[in-house]
Amino acid sequence: MSTARPSTAPAGASLAGRSGSVTWMALPAMVIFTAFGVIPLLGVLGLSFTSWDGIGVIHFTGLRSWRAELANPGLPHAIFVTFKIMILSWLVQTPLSILIGVFLAGHQRYRNWLAVLYFIPLLLSSAAIAVAYKALLDPNFGLGAGLHIGWLSQDWLGRGGLAVAVVIFIVSWQFIPFHSLIYQGAARQIPRTMYEAAEIDGAGRIRAFWSITLPQLKNTVIASSTLMVVGSLTFFDLIFILTAGGPGDATRVLALSMYKTGFQANLMGLASVIAVILVLFGVGLALLLRRIGGGANTQSTLEGG
Amino acid sequence: MDPISISRRTLLRLSLVGTAGVGLAACGSSGPDKASDSGGSTGSATYWYLSGAPGEGIRTNTVKRFNEANPKTQIKGSTFQNDAYKTKIKTAIGAGEAPTIIWGWGGGGLKSYVDASQVEDLTDWFGQNAAVKDRLFPSSFGAATVGGKIYAMPCETVQPIVLFYNKTSFEKIKAEPPKTWADIMDLVPKFNAAKIAPFSLAGQSRWTNMMWLEFLFDRIGGPEVFQAVFDGTKDAWSNPLAIQALTECQKLIKANGFIKGFSSITADSNADQALLYTGKAAMMLHGTWTYGSMATDGGDFVSGGHLGYMNFPPVDGGKGDPTNTVGNPGQYLSISSKATAEQKDIAKKFFATAVLSDAEKKEWIASGGIPIVKGADAELANSKDADFLKFVYGVASGAKTFAQSWDQALSPTAAESLLDNIAKLFQLQITPEQFATNMNQTIGT
Amino acid sequence: MATTVTTPTQGRRKTPTRHEGPAGRRPRPNWLGAILGIVWLVIVIVPVYWIVITSFKTQANYYAMNPLKPPPEPTFANYQLVIHSGFPRYFLNSVIVTAGTIVPAVLVSFMAAYAIVRGAGRTLRVMNGIFLGGLAIPLQATIIPVYLIIIRLHLYDTLLAMILPSIAFAIPLSVLVLTNFVRDVPRELFESMRVDGASEWTTLWRLAFPLTRPALVTVAIYNGLAVWNAFLLPLILTQSTEKRTLPLAVWSFQSQYGVNVPAVLASVVLTTLPILILYAFGRRQLVSGLTAGFSK
Repeated sequence: MSTARPSTAPAGASLAGRSGSVTWMALPAMVIFTAFGVIPLLGVLGLSFTSWDGIGVIHFTGLRSWRAELANPGLPHAIFVTFKIMILSWLVQTPLSILIGVFLAGHQRYRNWLAVLYFIPLLLSSAAIAVAYKALLDPNFGLGAGLHIGWLSQDWLGRGGLAVAVVIFIVSWQFIPFHSLIYQGAARQIPRTMYEAAEIDGAGRIRAFWSITLPQLKNTVIASSTLMVVGSLTFFDLIFILTAGGPGDATRVLALSMYKTGFQANLMGLASVIAVILVLFGVGLALLLRRIGGGANTQSTLEGG
Repeated sequence: MDPISISRRTLLRLSLVGTAGVGLAACGSSGPDKASDSGGSTGSATYWYLSGAPGEGIRTNTVKRFNEANPKTQIKGSTFQNDAYKTKIKTAIGAGEAPTIIWGWGGGGLKSYVDASQVEDLTDWFGQNAAVKDRLFPSSFGAATVGGKIYAMPCETVQPIVLFYNKTSFEKIKAEPPKTWADIMDLVPKFNAAKIAPFSLAGQSRWTNMMWLEFLFDRIGGPEVFQAVFDGTKDAWSNPLAIQALTECQKLIKANGFIKGFSSITADSNADQALLYTGKAAMMLHGTWTYGSMATDGGDFVSGGHLGYMNFPPVDGGKGDPTNTVGNPGQYLSISSKATAEQKDIAKKFFATAVLSDAEKKEWIASGGIPIVKGADAELANSKDADFLKFVYGVASGAKTFAQSWDQALSPTAAESLLDNIAKLFQLQITPEQFATNMNQTIGT
Repeated sequence: MATTVTTPTQGRRKTPTRHEGPAGRRPRPNWLGAILGIVWLVIVIVPVYWIVITSFKTQANYYAMNPLKPPPEPTFANYQLVIHSGFPRYFLNSVIVTAGTIVPAVLVSFMAAYAIVRGAGRTLRVMNGIFLGGLAIPLQATIIPVYLIIIRLHLYDTLLAMILPSIAFAIPLSVLVLTNFVRDVPRELFESMRVDGASEWTTLWRLAFPLTRPALVTVAIYNGLAVWNAFLLPLILTQSTEKRTLPLAVWSFQSQYGVNVPAVLASVVLTTLPILILYAFGRRQLVSGLTAGFSK
C-alpha cells in the first residue's frame, strides 16, 4: 500500500475506506442483474410451487406442480432426448474441432483462408439457419428432390432418428468453427521444441499428435466441452423452428418442453418445474466438468448461441 | 379465403345442434336498425383482429363503416398475425390490458377467459336483441356458449373441412373419386403404384392430422364419441368405436396413404396445398379456406377446373350421419369485462349494426367465404366461384351435426396434449390403446 | 489479450512460396489434414452457396432447374418483396435492441469490474460471487418469471422488454472478462493517478477506460452477436409486427411466403448481411471478440 494519500481522501483513509468510494460503481450492474437475473431465478423456483395459467391469478399450490411434472412420462423422455443430443453432439464436435483446430494452427496461407470461410456459419442466427435448412431438407421441394439424389431426399425431419441426426449435424455445422478457434489458439501455444524433440526420437506426425498435442490440449478440451455441454441444454431456436420438437416428441428437449408446457399448454407452474430442473442440470454439469478438469480455469458461459 | 387467419386451429366447440335451420329464405333486410342501448354515448373502444388477406381488409372496412356512421363513438382497430395473436391476446388479457372487443375462435379458449371472468356475459343482450341473433346460423352459437350462457357474438364465415382432390391425378390412374372409406383404402395402392401420393398432409402442424381423426371418429362412432370427451366422461377415449377409428387411421398410414415425409411438412407454408396442385398428391383433407390460396398460387389448377371437392365419405357400418361435418361454424367477438361501460356500449352497438351488415356480407362472399347469415346462399350465384361456394353452403347448412375442431373445443392444456399424442399416433410411435390411455389422463384438465 | 489470432513465437513462419520449418527441413505435406480441411469446407460452403444462389431465382426457376446451378438471369424480385414486407423496420428494431443492450451493459459491467479490482470489502466480494454464479444461469430457464415481470411493468411488446433482460444476461461474462483486463493495468499507474489527486471516478475514465478499450470492444462484439441473433426473448416478450426483430422476422417470413423458398432465403440472406459486412471489415476483432476469455 502506498502511503501517499490523495488530497481528496479523508485523512486516515485505509484500504477499506477507499474501497467504499468504489463500491457504488458496481451497483448499477448489480441492480439490473438482480432485477432480471437473480429475481427471475428465485421467481422460477417460487413459481414451481404454484399453479398459473398465464392469464388468471397465481395460486400457491405447494408441491402439486412438482408431483404432477415428475409423474409425467414426458419428462424423463425430454431429459433423455436432451442428453442424447448433448452427448452425440459432443462426440461429433469435439474430435472434429480438435482436428480442424490443430490443422488451422499451421500458418500456411491457405489455412488462414479456410479459417475465414469456416467461420461464416457462426455469424448466422440459429433462426436463419433453421429456416434455411428446413427449405433445403424438404423431401418434396428441397435440395435432394431437385438433384434427384435418392439418399438426399429422405424424410429428414419426419423420422425420429433422422431428425435427431439432422439437429446434431446443424449444431455441429454451426459451432465447430467456434471450438476449432479455441483449439487453434491452444495448439499454437504448444512449444515447438516438444515436437522437435519427438521428431528426433523418430515419432511420426500421428504419434506426435497423440503423445504431445492431445495431452497439451487437456484444459482446452475441458473448457470447450463445458461450453458445448452446458450450451446444449439451451438449444431452443433451432429445434423450435426446425421440428417444433417433432416428429412426435423425438427432438423435444427440456427447453422446448418448458416452452410448450408454459406458453402453449398454459401450465406455467409445471413449466417452472422444468426450468428449475434445467438450472440444476446446468449448474451440475458445469461443476462436474470443473471437477474432471481438476479445477482448471474453465470459464463456462451459458450462451446458447 | 384467408389462408392465414384460419389456417391454424380454428374450430369451435361441438355444437350438437340439429340441422342448422338455415332456410333458403333470403333474409334480404339489413340487420336490425336499432341496438337497444345506442344512447348518445361518446368515446372510443379498441378492437384487435387478425391480419392477412382477405379477412383483414373486410374487418377493417367494417370498422371504417361503423366509425363513419357513428362519428361520436369510434372504434380503433389493431391487426395481428395469426400465430402472434394467440399469445398476444392471452397475455394482454392476463395483464389486464385487453382490447374492448376480443376477436377469437370460441370454444375452449373462450371458456378460459370466462373462467377468469375476463369477458362479458351477452345472454341478456341477445335476449333483448333477438333480431341480431335470429339472422345468424344457429349452429354458430354453440362455440359462443359456456355453461348455457352466451359470451361472444358469432361473426364472419363458416368453414367446414372438406376433401379436395386433383382430377388430373384421378384421370392418370383412370379411377373415380372415392364414395366410401373402402374406396379410399383401394385407391391408396393404385396411386402409390403410379408414383403419386394418395394424400397430401402437413403433419408437422399436428392439427392437420387431427382433422382426419375428427372425421373418422364421426363417421365410425357418430358425434357422441367426442362429445363424451368434451363432457369430461371418465375414460371416454377408450370407447371401442374410438379405438376403431384410431386403428383405421393407422391402417391408412401403414398403407402409405400419406405423402412421404408428411411429418416434416407444415401447413403454415402451404406446402401441403402445393403438393396437391403440383400433382404430387392426389387428395387432401383441409379447410375450405385453402380454396382461395390454391386459386391464387396454383396456376390454372382451380380456374381450369382441375380441383374436385366433396364431403368426407362414409365408413361402411359406421354410425355417423354422412352429412356431418367438422370445421369452423364462425369466428367470435367478445367484450372485455375490464372495459368501461361506455366502451361496452360501443361494442354492443358495433355488434348490432356493423358486424355482418349487408355490405360486410357481400365482401365475404366476394372473397370466397360463406358468411354465417341465413340466406347468404341467395347471393352466391353471381360469384366466380359459385359452384364451390354453393357446395360449402350446402355442406354447412345441410350438416346434421357441425362439430367443432377438437383443439378449440378442449382447454388449451388438454389441446396441447391431444396434438402431441396425435403426432405420435401418426408417427406410429403409440398404439390406439396407448393413445386412449394417454388422453384419458387429460380429461377434466 | 491473448486472442487466438495473435501469432505466437513458436510455430511455422510464413514463407511466400513454400512452407519450411524453422530448421530448414521441408515438412511433409499434411495430406490427411488437407483432405479433412477441404471436406469440411465443402460441408460449410455448399449450404451457404445454395442459400445465396436460390435467393436470386424465381420460384419457377427454383422448381425447374438444378438447385446447385446459378440462375441464368438473377432476379432481385425476392429481395424487393422482403424489403417491402417491413424489413427496414425489423432491421431498425434489431439495431435499437442490440445497441440499447450493449452500450449500457458494457458500461455498467466495466464500472463493476473496476470496483471489483480496485475496491475491497465484503459487499464487493459478494457481488462478484453473484456475477460469477450468474454465468451458470441459462436465460431460457428464467424466461417465465422474466415474462411475468415484464407484464407487471407494462412493458410487454416494447423494445425495452427485450433490452432489459438482455442487459442483465450480458453482465456476468462481461464482468468476468473485463475484471481480468482491469487487473492487468499496472498498479503504479493507479498510484500515480492517486498521487496526482485524481478521484476514482476520474481514474476510471482517464486511465482504466483507454487501457481496456480492446477488451471493451471484444465484450461488446460477443454480446452484440448474441443479442442480434436472439430469438427466445422477442418470441415471448413481443407480439406485434412493429416490434419484430430480424430473427423473429425470418421465422415469420417462412410462413408468410410459404413455399416461395427463394423469398424465404432472400430474407435469410438479408438478415445475415449486416453481420457478414462487419465480418469482412473487422474479422480479427470479431473472431477475438467471440473467443474472448477462453485463451487467457
